[in-house]
Amino acid sequence: MARSKPPENALNTPANARFKVGDRVRVKDLPNLFYTRTQMYVRGIVGTIAACTYQDVIPEDEAFNRDGRLEQYYIVRFRQKDLWPEYQFDNDTVQTESPERWLDPVDN
Amino acid sequence: MSARNELRHQQELIASLQPALHVPQNWNYEVDGPLYTAYVHPPHDVGGQFDVPVVYEEKEEEQWELDTYVTCEVLGWRGVWNSEERRRRADNDLGYALYVGVPYYGRWILSAARMLVDKNHVPLTELVEKIAEVKSRYGKK
Amino acid sequence: MSHTHTPGNGGADPGHAAPMVEEITDFEVLEIAVRELAIEHGLFTAEDHRRFTEWTETIGPAAGSRLVAKAWTDPAFKARVMEDAVKACKEIGIDWAEPTGFGTPSDYMNLRVLEDTPTLHHVIVCTLCSCYPRPLLGMSPEWYRTTNYRRRLVRWPRQVLAEFGLILPPEVEVRIEDSNQKCRFMVLPVRPEGTENWTEEQLAEIVTRDCMIGVALPRLGRTADVHPVHKARRPVQGSTHSGEARHERKE
Repeated sequence: MARSKPPENALNTPANARFKVGDRVRVKDLPNLFYTRTQMYVRGIVGTIAACTYQDVIPEDEAFNRDGRLEQYYIVRFRQKDLWPEYQFDNDTVQTESPERWLDPVDN
Repeated sequence: MSARNELRHQQELIASLQPALHVPQNWNYEVDGPLYTAYVHPPHDVGGQFDVPVVYEEKEEEQWELDTYVTCEVLGWRGVWNSEERRRRADNDLGYALYVGVPYYGRWILSAARMLVDKNHVPLTELVEKIAEVKSRYGKK
Repeated sequence: MSHTHTPGNGGADPGHAAPMVEEITDFEVLEIAVRELAIEHGLFTAEDHRRFTEWTETIGPAAGSRLVAKAWTDPAFKARVMEDAVKACKEIGIDWAEPTGFGTPSDYMNLRVLEDTPTLHHVIVCTLCSCYPRPLLGMSPEWYRTTNYRRRLVRWPRQVLAEFGLILPPEVEVRIEDSNQKCRFMVLPVRPEGTENWTEEQLAEIVTRDCMIGVALPRLGRTADVHPVHKARRPVQGSTHSGEARHERKE
């Protein structure tokens, strides 16, 4: 049978999630080798948790067909001005998804 | 590739597929820092890279493109690979030149072919013999 | 742009090029080889392939248009869409579990609808590949898959949107959704003024695919996304497959 399966739908913050909506987090800046789904452009940048999405296998495991580690995923919102120094529009934002291990807490 | 002339042209073309760095690369003693990072950067992570305005086209779908999509999905359905291995990692493993150089579904079908061999479902000899047989079946030189 | 156009098929009957009049291409060869080997080695059956193909023939952006129109006219439905979009899709006849029972291997069953307001505009990209809510919107357009769109949208969104003909005032927040993992996204645009007494069917007509990606806004009288279309050499036969190409052919 197929290994692929839908992620668990978890629209609300599950009990074991490390972060909650509104928390500030910094994306880890780890070296790249072979594969990643954490884009270079968000590495090291502080954003805000916009949603807790689901729990699923982390991409680094699934990409190599490991029966991988399940983690909570989040949608993180960044200010465009924090990402691109030349950016002209104060209000604009970008959101992207990340599993928990890529996020460090930021003290407010 | 019997004609030597043809071979030379083909090899020149292959050698020109070096989008990373157009300088002689015979003695790569020191590949460090940004250059190393650039080389090991997964090709699919393109967000924020510079590019110029283009006309954003639609494309009518080729029959082989639909068949490729379905083949890759059915291989997932039957548990031969998962989506993360396929569309995602395997496309990167093709390398930068192929990643940017072939059609969207070209990446998919090359990745599927590679996976069949990597996972020992099909010996490479059988794959190339099959390719030769299909070419001959349709009269392709 | 159209460097793959081949002589001999130059528009005489571009929609129905005779099979194999032109020499088969290397990717066509490879596709046939891989499919046949997979079947010969028992990895899947021809019947599996046929069933999945039949499913692809049922998908397209019209379902998304219906969802938006219904959400505009039925606040309770909209609330259900925002609560659990996959579940709400069933009400407009889209079951994300098709065609396998657990969904497609690539689309997952995790759809989030992004609601625009007069001061917030969403636009979707997948910078890493081309993740797209196929069960609801059909296949992604070719431009959405290009490195160009993926490179530029996250950094120069207003420039890219302007190239699509959409210029937004600075006070509107542009929010890019980079669909890089297993959520899939669709934009719920603001219902335009002047549509107060319209039926769902009328409303659905102005909700084009581009509006649901966020590179266009619904507008009275705008019922198709207009882009140049690169013709196929041997297009999918009798298919309503590529959402935009179908729009173009209708005109």
